[in-house]
Amino acid sequence: MAQITLEKISKSFGSVKALDAVDLEVKDKEFFVLFGPAGAGKTTILKTIAGVEFPDSGLVRIGDRIVNLIDPALRNVSMVFENYALYPHMKVYDNIASPMRSPLHRKSEAEIAREVARVSDLMGISQLMERLPSQLSNGQRQRTALGRCLVRRPNVFLMDEPLAHLDAKLRHLMRTELKAMQTAFDTTTIYVTHDYSEALSLGDRIAILNRGKFEQIGTGDEVYYAPVNEFVARLVGEPEINIVDAELQDVAGECRVGIRAGASIVHYPLPDDIGGKLHASGVGRRIRMGIRGVNIAYKFEKAEGYLPGSVYNLEPIGNKSILTIKTDENLFQTIASNDLSVELDTPVWMYPDPKNMLLFDAADGRFLGRHHQAQLTGRA
Amino acid sequence: MRRGIFEPAFRYAALIVWALFALFPLLWMVIISFKSDAEVFTTTFWFSPTLGNYEAVFKTDYFKYFLDNLIISGCAVLVSVAVGVPAAYALARYQFRGKEDLAFQILSFKFAPEILVVLPVFMIFQWIGLYDTHLGLIWVYQLITMPLLIWVLRGYFEDISVEVEQAAMLDGYKWYQIFLRILLPLIKPGLVSSALLTFIFAWNTFTFPLILAGFKVQPVTVAALRYLASDTVHYGQMAVAAAVTALPEVVLALLIQKHLVRGLSFGAVKG
Repeated sequence: MAQITLEKISKSFGSVKALDAVDLEVKDKEFFVLFGPAGAGKTTILKTIAGVEFPDSGLVRIGDRIVNLIDPALRNVSMVFENYALYPHMKVYDNIASPMRSPLHRKSEAEIAREVARVSDLMGISQLMERLPSQLSNGQRQRTALGRCLVRRPNVFLMDEPLAHLDAKLRHLMRTELKAMQTAFDTTTIYVTHDYSEALSLGDRIAILNRGKFEQIGTGDEVYYAPVNEFVARLVGEPEINIVDAELQDVAGECRVGIRAGASIVHYPLPDDIGGKLHASGVGRRIRMGIRGVNIAYKFEKAEGYLPGSVYNLEPIGNKSILTIKTDENLFQTIASNDLSVELDTPVWMYPDPKNMLLFDAADGRFLGRHHQAQLTGRA
Repeated sequence: MRRGIFEPAFRYAALIVWALFALFPLLWMVIISFKSDAEVFTTTFWFSPTLGNYEAVFKTDYFKYFLDNLIISGCAVLVSVAVGVPAAYALARYQFRGKEDLAFQILSFKFAPEILVVLPVFMIFQWIGLYDTHLGLIWVYQLITMPLLIWVLRGYFEDISVEVEQAAMLDGYKWYQIFLRILLPLIKPGLVSSALLTFIFAWNTFTFPLILAGFKVQPVTVAALRYLASDTVHYGQMAVAAAVTALPEVVLALLIQKHLVRGLSFGAVKG
C-alpha cells in the first residue's frame, strides 16, 4: 500500500527553481525511474518524498496519507544517497545494521547479524564488514549504502543513482539483481539515474525531468519510440538521435519528407499512417526529422534515395562502431559493425529509414508522430 | 657516513638548547619556590631547600583561590560547549541573513584587548550586581572561550555531509539520537581539543578577574599578586603560587598534546 502522489510541488534554492509545480503519481509496487540531466531536480524529488527537504508548496502523499508534516523517520522510506552518506565512524557492519538498531525498527542482535549477512552477501561485500567507510573504494561504499537501504522492508525504496560508481560489469549484475529483488519484495521503488539504458531496462515507467518540470512520463517504449519532444528524443538513446531540418511535401497525394543534401533534395515517402495524418495537417512546411543511428543504412556507392556524404569519424565502442557521416548541412551518427575499416573523408551514401523517422514541429520541437506509433508504444 | 653522525648530533644539540631555553624559566621558578627569601638573590643552584614557602602559601586561602579558578574556568568552558555546539551547528547548516557577519562578530570578540572592554563591563556589573561573583566571571569569560570553540566546531560540522544526518533520520533516529550517535562522535576530536585549549585560556586570564572580582571571588592568577606585599616581595611564595597554578595546565597539555594539533587542524573524517 504505497502509492506515492506529488501534487503541485514547488521548491526553490535561493533564486534557482529546482521543482516547478510538479505533479507525479507512482503506483503501488511500481519500479519508477526518474531520468534527466544533471540539475534537473531528480534528487530534490526523492528528498521531498523522503521528507528531508520540504517543498515550498504542494502536497506529498504516501498511500492515502498527506505526509507533508510527518517526520521522515515515520514515513517508512528507505533511501540510497548519491554521495552514499555512510556514517564515517562506523564499520560497514554497523552502517548496514543502523536502521535495525534505531528505536523505530529495532531488532534483536541475532536477527541483525542474519540480515546484515544476507544483504552483504547479496552486495558482495561480506569480506569488508570490519572496515570503515574511509577504507573502501567508491564502488564498495555505494554497495554498503545500497545494503543499508535494502536491509529494511519499507513502504518505498528511494534510490539516487545507486549504481553510478560501480564498474560496468558489476553495474550490469546489480541492475539485474535490483530488478529481481524489486519483483520479489513487491515494494514501490523510485530510482534516479542519468543513464538511459538503466532507465529503460529497470523502469516500469520513466519520468523525464528537465529544469524542475516533467517533459514526459511513460513506459520505456513510449519515451524511446514516441518521445514528446526533441529534448526527450535526444536524451534517450546512444548515440544521440540525429535531428535535422526537413520539409514536408506533397508529391501526387503522397506525403514525403524532403532532406536537403547539397544542391538537391532527397525525398522519402512516409508510410500511410503517419503520412496521412501529417498530410491532413498541411504540407509544404518546415519540420524537423529525427532518425536514430540504428535506423540509418549506408553504402559506399551511390544509390537511389540515399543521401550523399563523407566519413567524418569512425569510433569503435566495443561490439560496434559509431560512424559519423557528414553531409553538406549535417552530421549523422550511425551504427556500423566494428569490423568496418574506412578512411576519413571517403564518400558514403546513407538511407534514413522513413518507417523509423520521428517527426517534430520545427517551431517548438513538439513530436508530430511516426509510423506504427500505437503498435510500438503498446497503445494499439 | 659522516653526515650520518653529524646530522643527528647537531639536531640533538639544537633540541637541547631549545629545551633549556623553553624550560629554564619554569625550572628557575621551581627552584625559587624551595628557597628562603634570604637565599633568593644570593644563591643560584646551591642552597638549603626549605618547604617554608609552601607552608606559608598553603596556610593562606590559596586553595580557595585555586578552587575559584577551577569553578570559573570549568563552568565557562561548560557554558561555551553547551551554547557553542548548537551555535556552531547553526552556522554550519542553516542559511540565514547576516550569517557570515554574525560568525565574524563572534570571532571579533577575540580581537579587542580585554582592558578595552573591562571598564564598561565593570560599571555594568556593579550596577546589576554581578561584580565579584562567579556568575559574572563565567559570563564574561565567554568572550575568551566561545569564539575559538565555535569556529573550530563549525568547521567540523561543515565537513559532515547533510546527507549523513538525513540518512540517520530515515533510519529511524530522533534528532537527539542523531546528535549523540552520529554527530558527537564525528566532532569529538575538535570538541575535546578546543574545549581543553579554551580551558587553558580561561585558566590564565588575568585582566578580567583583576578588575571584575577581588574580595569574595578571586581566581588564583590574581591571588598570586598578594605575595607582592607593600613592604617586601615574597618571591619564594609567589613562585609557589605560580608553580602550583601552572600544574593543571602542564598536566592537561601533556595529556592532550597528541590530540591537540590534530584536533584543531583536521576536520571530521569524510566517508
